[in-house]
Amino acid sequence: MNETATPPLPADLRDALARGVRQVNTVVLGKPHEVRLAFVCLLAGGHLLIEDLPGVGKTTLAHALAATLGLGFQRVQFTSDLLPSDIIGVGIYEREAGVFKFHPGPLFTQLLLADEINRAMPKTQSALLEAMAEGQVTVDGTTHRLAPPFFVVATQNPLDLAGTWPLPDSQLDRFMLRMSLGYPDRDAERAMLGASDRRDVIAALTPCLGPEQILALRQACAGVLASPALIEYVQALLAASRDHPEIRIGLSPRAGLALLAAARAHALLSGRPHCVPEDVQAVFPFVAGHRLGLGANARIDRTRLVAQLLEATPVR
Amino acid sequence: MTDRLDRLQFERTAIAVAATIATHLAHLPPWLAAALAAAIALRVFARRRGSATISSWTRVLLTVLLLVVIVTRYGNVFGRGPGSALACGLLGLKLLETERTRDARVAIGFSSFVLMSSLLFTQSLLFCTLVGGVLVLILAALSALQPAPLRAHRPLRADLRLAGILLAASLPLGAAAFVLLPRLQAPLWGSRDDGLGRSGLSETMAPGQFSQLMQDDSPAFRVEFAASRPPNASLYFRTIVLTDFDGTTWSRRLGGPRGGAAAPVATGRSYDYTITLEATDRPWMPALDLPLFAPEGTRLDDDQVIVAGRSVTQPREYHLRSDVDAHAAPSLDRRERLRMLRLPTGYGKQARALAQRWREQAKDDRDVVKAALAMFRGSFTYTLSPPLLARDSVDDFLFGSQQGFCEHYASAFVFLMRAAGIPARVVTGYQGGWWSGGYLLVRQSDAHAWAEVWREGTGWQRVDPTAAVSPARVELGAPDANGAQAWFGAEWLREMRNRFDVASRLWTLSIVRFDALSQRNLLSSLGITDAAQGDLLLALSGVLGLSMLLAAAWSMRETSVRVGDALDRAWTRFRSRLARTGIDERAAEGPLDLRARVHAAVPALAPAIDPLVDEYVALRYGAAEPTPTRVAALDRRLRAVRLSRPR
Repeated sequence: MNETATPPLPADLRDALARGVRQVNTVVLGKPHEVRLAFVCLLAGGHLLIEDLPGVGKTTLAHALAATLGLGFQRVQFTSDLLPSDIIGVGIYEREAGVFKFHPGPLFTQLLLADEINRAMPKTQSALLEAMAEGQVTVDGTTHRLAPPFFVVATQNPLDLAGTWPLPDSQLDRFMLRMSLGYPDRDAERAMLGASDRRDVIAALTPCLGPEQILALRQACAGVLASPALIEYVQALLAASRDHPEIRIGLSPRAGLALLAAARAHALLSGRPHCVPEDVQAVFPFVAGHRLGLGANARIDRTRLVAQLLEATPVR
Repeated sequence: MTDRLDRLQFERTAIAVAATIATHLAHLPPWLAAALAAAIALRVFARRRGSATISSWTRVLLTVLLLVVIVTRYGNVFGRGPGSALACGLLGLKLLETERTRDARVAIGFSSFVLMSSLLFTQSLLFCTLVGGVLVLILAALSALQPAPLRAHRPLRADLRLAGILLAASLPLGAAAFVLLPRLQAPLWGSRDDGLGRSGLSETMAPGQFSQLMQDDSPAFRVEFAASRPPNASLYFRTIVLTDFDGTTWSRRLGGPRGGAAAPVATGRSYDYTITLEATDRPWMPALDLPLFAPEGTRLDDDQVIVAGRSVTQPREYHLRSDVDAHAAPSLDRRERLRMLRLPTGYGKQARALAQRWREQAKDDRDVVKAALAMFRGSFTYTLSPPLLARDSVDDFLFGSQQGFCEHYASAFVFLMRAAGIPARVVTGYQGGWWSGGYLLVRQSDAHAWAEVWREGTGWQRVDPTAAVSPARVELGAPDANGAQAWFGAEWLREMRNRFDVASRLWTLSIVRFDALSQRNLLSSLGITDAAQGDLLLALSGVLGLSMLLAAAWSMRETSVRVGDALDRAWTRFRSRLARTGIDERAAEGPLDLRARVHAAVPALAPAIDPLVDEYVALRYGAAEPTPTRVAALDRRLRAVRLSRPR
């Protein structure tokens, strides 16, 4: 069988996507790679976790994405007293009708910015993660579907850990990608300092894409060809993570699926109808980094570990 | 202190040490075993709690204490018993100070030694299997001690598996060493220096003494008959003859046995057979009633008992011929005759009176025997758990309890005969057995006692009073007649143990008793005759070197050879050519990155290479299966690219 990839995207969709990426890059200065990853995550249908210091532009990135994608946007600042019902919504008794009416919470949106997710208590975290995994929430026995596309950008502050509940490994797995932004480089910082307030810039943005187009892009993403040779490569990476002596818990099959989906999205963003190993390598650190369970006395950090895995796995 | 043991490593070491000490349980003083178990358990518990280590003063004190108690218990610290107790104690104490990897390695090495020393006591198949299992535990603990970068946190199962593989891998070499290592004339182990009593028949018999023996299912000996088998009713294995009675205990003739037996009167069927006797620590050698000659190195006493020159401390094999119908000593001198009639004074008044009465009523000796047997048949019962007898055991048994087993009957019967003026004696030995394949297995539980009466002209004649009470004891054998005493007497279990005995016998014959002679036989069957010890050692080192070479080759074998398809081969070739121009091969690099590197290094190559990379990507990643014709075309184009060597 000589199966070939689906033809590249329709021209209008491709242009819209390229415009969207460009536009976000005008707001988030000097971070093309991170912006690309955010789009990868969106197109692959996953959720994004940004782990970084305050003030490096996590929120700006989320705002810019929402404005560019034309998605409904809600922001929830997670605090230690935030309850699950504060984000999911609550059933309120209506005396006239004599029934409970469900008042949806901020979760019922298309792009949710969950700011400082590790400040909320585990119960609230897991309510959110539940919704992320299922695409629906159940309140008082009624199931409410979340309108697709549903995309969560969560942020986490890695340093100030007093009074936080860091997400456990098992829940980190729900995020397709984890990345950090880091300080902008010199030029980008100068440009940013010299320009007007980011909020004004964001307010001036016009949507380049809509929900329907995002769904179409996601469909196209699923159609990107991953040849047997590439799947072999992905498998070899997974196996390497499981055999590595410093790693206690290797990558799960779910991580493998996430890796492949992200690689497809990366290929699509690069305008290719098929995945190449470089796509896998580009997303691997961000898919694998937070999923590897390191041994108790591991003497290596995750970044180097991921690099080692990539280094040790031959491409076919 | 980076190499401090983590909890898992420590506890695996502790398990290995505890299991090793457990192999010595059978002969370790109970207080020592309990103390060591408590010490290990406390140590594991304390370490879990994170408690501090035990001070060296305490450890020195404990060591001294150990030495003192062992010397007081055994008298010294040499020899098998005290030596192994000391080793076990030291091993337990070693665990108290085990804190680092190095300590644990020492503890594990010492465990292996202590484990090996347990084989000095027992070499049965079951025990050796157990020792193998403990060795796996020890190796698993050792594997858990590997330095951290090499060791992923593997479950116990993985360590056990590795240990099993290691053990299995060592077997061929072990077998070679077993065959080729020069042997001593006697087996290396099995020396018994502690004289602790082993079960088996003893030189004395007091009614009630056998009941322990009757429940001991361990093999006593095995008999292989050369031609035909004697009938079950003739399977009496004579071991010791007891002549002197002091009122409670029968014992062998005082003043030592006398050699030079008069040849028995052979009358009928004789059988040739081979007996493999388990070690007994006694000189008695069972023989089918009546043996016609003594095997080499033994003597046949005038009571037709075969006595070895020294105690049987290792399994021993001997050939014999017996005549089941023969009678010994047709004539008896007066002294001998008086001895066989002697009774202790002050015992068995009622019995003497009864015997007198029989004597007066009977025409001849035969009637007296019949009268006694008739009495037993009448109101006596056979049981392995008879009530305890009073001081005057004969009267109490005959006129009181009337319950007992072979010892009681033999003892009472001989007393009655002597009281009636008929020379009589007690014979102990074994009766029956279990036919298994080609041989008869006789267990300690087949121990039996019977009587012999002497008649003028005929000689000694066997009379088994137990058979009168319980014919099944003789016809079916002890286990069936005695009934199931406990769960371990259950029929299916006994059957299984009988089967196991076949394997056990093979083990004893071919492994435990493998000595210089068997070694020579084995080697000559392989075509090696008259090998000097030096030659054997040379051969062994040859095998050792060869197996190490093989192991090295195996561990160095290429594991990452991947047989790719034609496209892979074409691409790999091209990359190798590129590498020669200075663009080194990186296995973990994708084609697009490679292209970028080529662009950066040799910009002039870009136009030539770009379409080829595109074609490779299209074939490799743009389709499920590369089209063969396109692959061939690409290969040609890749070969055609002109690459210049770096200057």
